[in-house]
Amino acid sequence: MSISINSVSKAFGLYPAVNNVSLTIPKGDFAALLGPSGSGKTTLLRLIAGLENPNQGRILFNGIDYTDKSVKERKVGFVFQQYALFKHMTIFENVAFGLKVRPRKSRPSKQQIHEKVFELLKLVQLENTAARYPAQLSGGQRQRIALARALAVEPEVLLLDEPFGALDAKVRQELRLWLRELHQKLNITTVFVTHDQEEALEMADTIVVMNHGQIEQIGSPEKVYNDPANSFVYSFLGRVNEFRGDSIPQELRLNEETAGYIRPHEIVLSRTALDTSSPSEVIHVHTVGSAVRVELKRLDTDDILEAELSTEKYRQIGPLIKGEMLYADFSRMVIFDDDRPNQAKVSNKIVTAL
Amino acid sequence: MSKISIRRRTLPGFGLSMGYSIVYLSLIVLIPIALLFIKATSLSFSDFWQTLTDDRVTASFQLTFLASFAAALVNAVFGTLIAWVLVRYSFSGKRLIDALVDLPFALPTAVAGIALTSIYAPNGWIGRFFEPLGIKIAFTQLGIIMALIFIGLPFVVRSVQPVLQDLDIQYEEAASTLGANSVQIFIKIIFPAIFPALLTGFALAFARALGEYGSVVFISGNMPMKTEIVPLLIITKLEQYDYAGAAAIATVMLLLSFVLLFLINFWQWKSAKKHKAV
Amino acid sequence: MYVKAAADKKGNLVPLMRKWVLILISLTFVGVFILVPLAAVFFEALKKGIELYFLSLTEPDAWSAIKLTLTIAAISVPLNTLFGVIAAWGIAKFEFKGKNILITLIDIPFAVSPVIAGLVFVLLFGSQGLLGPFLEAHNVKIIFAIPGIVLATIFVTFPFVVRELLPIMEEQGTEEEQAALTLGAGGWQIFWRVTLPNIKWGLLYGVILCNARAMGEFGAVSVVSGHIRGLTNTLPLHVEILYNEYNFTAAFASASLLALLALFTLLLKSIVEWKSIKKRH
Repeated sequence: MSISINSVSKAFGLYPAVNNVSLTIPKGDFAALLGPSGSGKTTLLRLIAGLENPNQGRILFNGIDYTDKSVKERKVGFVFQQYALFKHMTIFENVAFGLKVRPRKSRPSKQQIHEKVFELLKLVQLENTAARYPAQLSGGQRQRIALARALAVEPEVLLLDEPFGALDAKVRQELRLWLRELHQKLNITTVFVTHDQEEALEMADTIVVMNHGQIEQIGSPEKVYNDPANSFVYSFLGRVNEFRGDSIPQELRLNEETAGYIRPHEIVLSRTALDTSSPSEVIHVHTVGSAVRVELKRLDTDDILEAELSTEKYRQIGPLIKGEMLYADFSRMVIFDDDRPNQAKVSNKIVTAL
Repeated sequence: MSKISIRRRTLPGFGLSMGYSIVYLSLIVLIPIALLFIKATSLSFSDFWQTLTDDRVTASFQLTFLASFAAALVNAVFGTLIAWVLVRYSFSGKRLIDALVDLPFALPTAVAGIALTSIYAPNGWIGRFFEPLGIKIAFTQLGIIMALIFIGLPFVVRSVQPVLQDLDIQYEEAASTLGANSVQIFIKIIFPAIFPALLTGFALAFARALGEYGSVVFISGNMPMKTEIVPLLIITKLEQYDYAGAAAIATVMLLLSFVLLFLINFWQWKSAKKHKAV
Repeated sequence: MYVKAAADKKGNLVPLMRKWVLILISLTFVGVFILVPLAAVFFEALKKGIELYFLSLTEPDAWSAIKLTLTIAAISVPLNTLFGVIAAWGIAKFEFKGKNILITLIDIPFAVSPVIAGLVFVLLFGSQGLLGPFLEAHNVKIIFAIPGIVLATIFVTFPFVVRELLPIMEEQGTEEEQAALTLGAGGWQIFWRVTLPNIKWGLLYGVILCNARAMGEFGAVSVVSGHIRGLTNTLPLHVEILYNEYNFTAAFASASLLALLALFTLLLKSIVEWKSIKKRH
């Protein structure tokens, strides 16, 4: 099922949570709504589910207007951030709930419900938990049960609100891969909300970057990462150094307000001076997995910045010690001439050095 | 832009629930109460004033107020102490005491009334120890206060107890590492934290005492000018078929109750908001 | 070294002493104000022997008072329970303007003196009341009859159930209900399958408390009942009449039934609390 959102707005009191958002998610897509907290991503997800009603705009499923349809009629699968498993029911009863509440004539038989529930429990690899209560499961297990419960009603759209938010890092990593595989197997249009850019980049086919209730950019992970529409998207999708004023090369500077950005791994470090590089002092060095992060102070402008090298490159340069002098090259710095949001899909980048 | 979707709520049943609640509330509570005010206005202002300024009525109001206030004050002190003991200390029989604190909520007031009278009477279990000292409890104003203490105790304990329970002991530990002694800790750390709850409990106990009838009539002796409480006076007026007079006195009591109720709910709402913000 | 040990000992002694002094004061207070009156009820009731005790409970007036009390509770408790559940749903699960005002209005019967609660119905339905002439013309008796007692009882027990349910339902939030909604459940299904199982213990306690008050109400009922023996005397009114006739043993015997009801209520409350604490862990 494809989802179309046409100029939808939702305010809580005077606070505009979602502001005139338009978006199309094609059938079978795996889309991430990515943004900081308060960006309106969860509200947008709840609007799609019908758990909130828009003040304005239409929501279409497969081209049919569903704006005034109830949650029940929308047949969406929704996985809540805290899972919202029914505490007083066993896992079996939780998963069976959506089938048992159907009107008598479309309700499957006891036997069919039993089969369906175990089929789903098998899918989420938790068949042995059927008789237990939610409180007896771990966070990751509850997450998978919440998903099984949502899938029991055979939804055509699966909506997940911060699906891995409440889990620790290791479980989160496992579940990401698993959910991705599950999506490939079931091919249901899936939308999930996350504030974790890594999660979005790793899992989604399409990323919708949101901020202040509006969409900043829509695109594939490669697109939003390598070709960000504006400074917000650039800053939000990865580590970044920000410069202002004299720290920006003259030819890039548009006015006093201009900000220049460069990712740590794009800073080229060398022991010898090049004509474009600036002398910098090493403040701190630490290793993160396969990379080495170097904190530096630019001696010409006094900016503090972070550079990242692969361990290989670091070996070439040789061990760095605190207080040592290096030359840093910033020629891959980028600027954005217009920081106004709501310019999704339109790249405002005019000058890119290199 | 669709007007319907703005009004719609996602969970069902709001209209039905509100409609039914408001109708039932109006029929049982609001309309009868409103009629009382209307009845009171059937008196001319001078009659109204005369009813209220009658010596017997003013004496009764004075007694009801002072006794209720005294009882609420005693409860504020001992209720806080009991709440403290129940939250902070463990001792055998604690759960029993905790459960028994609610007895005044559950025990019918008439039962409380005759029981208290029997123990505080001059030959009663407790009264006999005070009799030789020349202190009479039952059938005096002191007896009224005793009954009102009984009635009001759970209000203070149950208001303060949960707040003490939630009070993180870390603040006290922090204060003691900074050199505060236990009296200072109580005054500067604990008391400010429980004060809103204590005030609510005090007001609840006071409000309940003002209107209390069953537990008081037996022990008070009901002597006009001396031990006649306002609720009893209302009944006396009714028995004399002085409906307007009863309504006038009741109106004053009712207005006082409303002010207290409003204050209590306001304090509770405020402290709940504060709680949420933290 | 020796000095320090002594100081340590003293440091431990003071809080320990304080603890036991405070416990002692509390126990004395609870003992004098709660335990002694409770014991007095049973002592006075049984003072003249168990035979007289049962005799005073089985005489016709006592028996009809018990039956009336049960009847009153059987009418007023279900009505207030229904209201409590419906109102708590509307207030706890939705946001709307005037919520605090509505809660305050529901609290009115808690704040109003029971005597005034009785008075308002006398003013409304009594022979001199607003609807009095109309009722008399149609030969309907409300005041000094059972309907009046029921109305007064409903009034004074009005907020119990809803007040017990509100905090529980508010704490539970609406996520489980929303989940049920996304799974296709309708309003009644959500209520019966999701909301009710979550509030059942609180509901039970609210009902028990409402019932205790309904059976034990004195002031309000006293104003509207007319104290007609064998007809409009509830158990608490029966206690009063016997007591005023200096028939203390019989008065305390009836009172002991009501005291047992109170103890049963407290026991149930403790069980409910224990259950909900267990559920949380």
